[in-house]
Amino acid sequence: MSSVLLVVVSVNVILALLFSIGAAPIMVWLERRVAGFIQDRLGPNRCNIKGIRLGGLIQSFADMLKLVFKEDFRSSTIRERFLFSLSPVIVFVCAFLAFMVVPFADNLVLFDEVYVMQAVPVELGVLWFLAFAGLGVYGIMIGGWASNNKYSLLGSIRSSAQMISYEAAMALSLVSVLVTYGSLNLVDAVNFQAQLIFGFIPAWGVLIQPVATIIFIITAFAEANRTPFDIAEGESEIVGGFHTEYSAMRFGLFFVGEYVAMSTSSAFIVTLFFGGYHLPWLDTQVLKGNMPTVLAVAMVVIPLISFIFMRWVYKNNIWLDKNDARNKESIWLLKILLFKNVVILSLLGYALFVGIGENVTNILTCILQVVTFAIKLLLVNFFFIWVRWTLPRFRYDQLQTLGWKVLMPLAIANIFITATFIVVMGV
Amino acid sequence: MADIVFAILAIFALVGAFGMISFHSPIHSALSFIVTILALAGIFALLSAPFLFAVQIIVYAGAIMVLMLFIIMFLNVRESNFPKEPNKFISMFFGSILLLPVNIFIVRAFLKMPEKSMEIVEDGFGNIGSLSMELFTRWLLPFEAISILLLVALVGAVVLARKEES
Repeated sequence: MSSVLLVVVSVNVILALLFSIGAAPIMVWLERRVAGFIQDRLGPNRCNIKGIRLGGLIQSFADMLKLVFKEDFRSSTIRERFLFSLSPVIVFVCAFLAFMVVPFADNLVLFDEVYVMQAVPVELGVLWFLAFAGLGVYGIMIGGWASNNKYSLLGSIRSSAQMISYEAAMALSLVSVLVTYGSLNLVDAVNFQAQLIFGFIPAWGVLIQPVATIIFIITAFAEANRTPFDIAEGESEIVGGFHTEYSAMRFGLFFVGEYVAMSTSSAFIVTLFFGGYHLPWLDTQVLKGNMPTVLAVAMVVIPLISFIFMRWVYKNNIWLDKNDARNKESIWLLKILLFKNVVILSLLGYALFVGIGENVTNILTCILQVVTFAIKLLLVNFFFIWVRWTLPRFRYDQLQTLGWKVLMPLAIANIFITATFIVVMGV
Repeated sequence: MADIVFAILAIFALVGAFGMISFHSPIHSALSFIVTILALAGIFALLSAPFLFAVQIIVYAGAIMVLMLFIIMFLNVRESNFPKEPNKFISMFFGSILLLPVNIFIVRAFLKMPEKSMEIVEDGFGNIGSLSMELFTRWLLPFEAISILLLVALVGAVVLARKEES
């Protein structure tokens, strides 16, 4: 069944592309809008194609086009031309590669063969993330150094100092998590979290390893170069830090790379600490066993969500002038949603009516888990954005103090307690 | 297939190593050394040693070389501070000729090696589980001795770096 394998692998790669690069325009839009609401303003919402604004989402595509068509300026003082061009590529590729091991759903069984739902199905899991996320810092360092500019050099020195500060604490916080799950493999880690503690609490990493969760989230912020740890960029102190000299698509790669890194960090936070692709209390076996019930619930919930969404749109997107182009947007959205609902409902109804075979059950379970994962990813990404517009920037010596004097002893103590607990309880 | 990948990785490793000793500026040397490290990591992966692959990248490329680059950038060496290296390539050429007998020995040792099949070995080889079982049972004493050695080095560095209270 090599053609099935080919299809599954391509689906996985496309999913990885969608969740990392495809999510970047949505993240940019979300970031600017959330920033607007936090600072009591609207954010970009005017950009439109014939009145269709999608709440400002079109702005991201306009920005993207701007970056592609902008003049690619390179100062004549830059002598390291090869390294200057290479560094955005390193940032982008490393962030993207690190994303590749995230499992999007439980192992898919089709025609009695097991397919792993990872773009790169390696056993290394967390180690792969540490390896490639760690390499991303070279892009920033080389870029800042090759710019031949003192602010850029300061940015790259800060970035390497930052890397030295958080990397040890991050790796040590992951050790206790790995000891708990008993495996490097991310699918095993997620399936461990499908258990229940005391029969009713989902055994999510955030509940059984709260200290490791906090340390990992803090260090993941530093890994993704996000505020409060965007000291390499530091636009209010050192112009633009490492990307001061970059323009057009070279800057665009840095920019998208930052959002891909954010998505990667979020994906690992979701996978390791928030149950990955599992709905709480509904593990893969339960979903497969009760597929008709799940479908029936979905047939009620999907139209309900669409209805609430359309009511919200009609309440907020209404203009006095009937001929206003913006009024057409609601009608368009209504049509698209109605069409989507009719298609989904008829498919689900047909499936329920005819009765579903084993393969279809497995595929539906897989789709449900991918959707769960996507929603969790979006929520954690939102958390990243929320923090960015709430906390001020750390100084780099403060980050070093935090990393070495607070987080690392905490992580070591956590490893000690976890290991002792596991040996004593014989889990 | 594996042979082609090995050849590419080996070429990268050699080019990186040559660049490391022949570049003038320390940052270029450090960067080309990173190329060698990554190529070696790829060769580890080719040898069914995924754990070594990850550790090579995390520890050497991800931590040690970042520290090196940090220090080189922090010192901010200028072009004028570099040592003058007249006749660098001539001295490298004669140096490699001096090393030729050793190399011939190495090639002969390589040719004497017994034939081994280059097939992918069974599952679990080189994984973290089997590696740590070996490390913590058969090689426990050397492992702990190396840990103590590293600890001594660490304490020594802290003592040397500490400022004297005047």
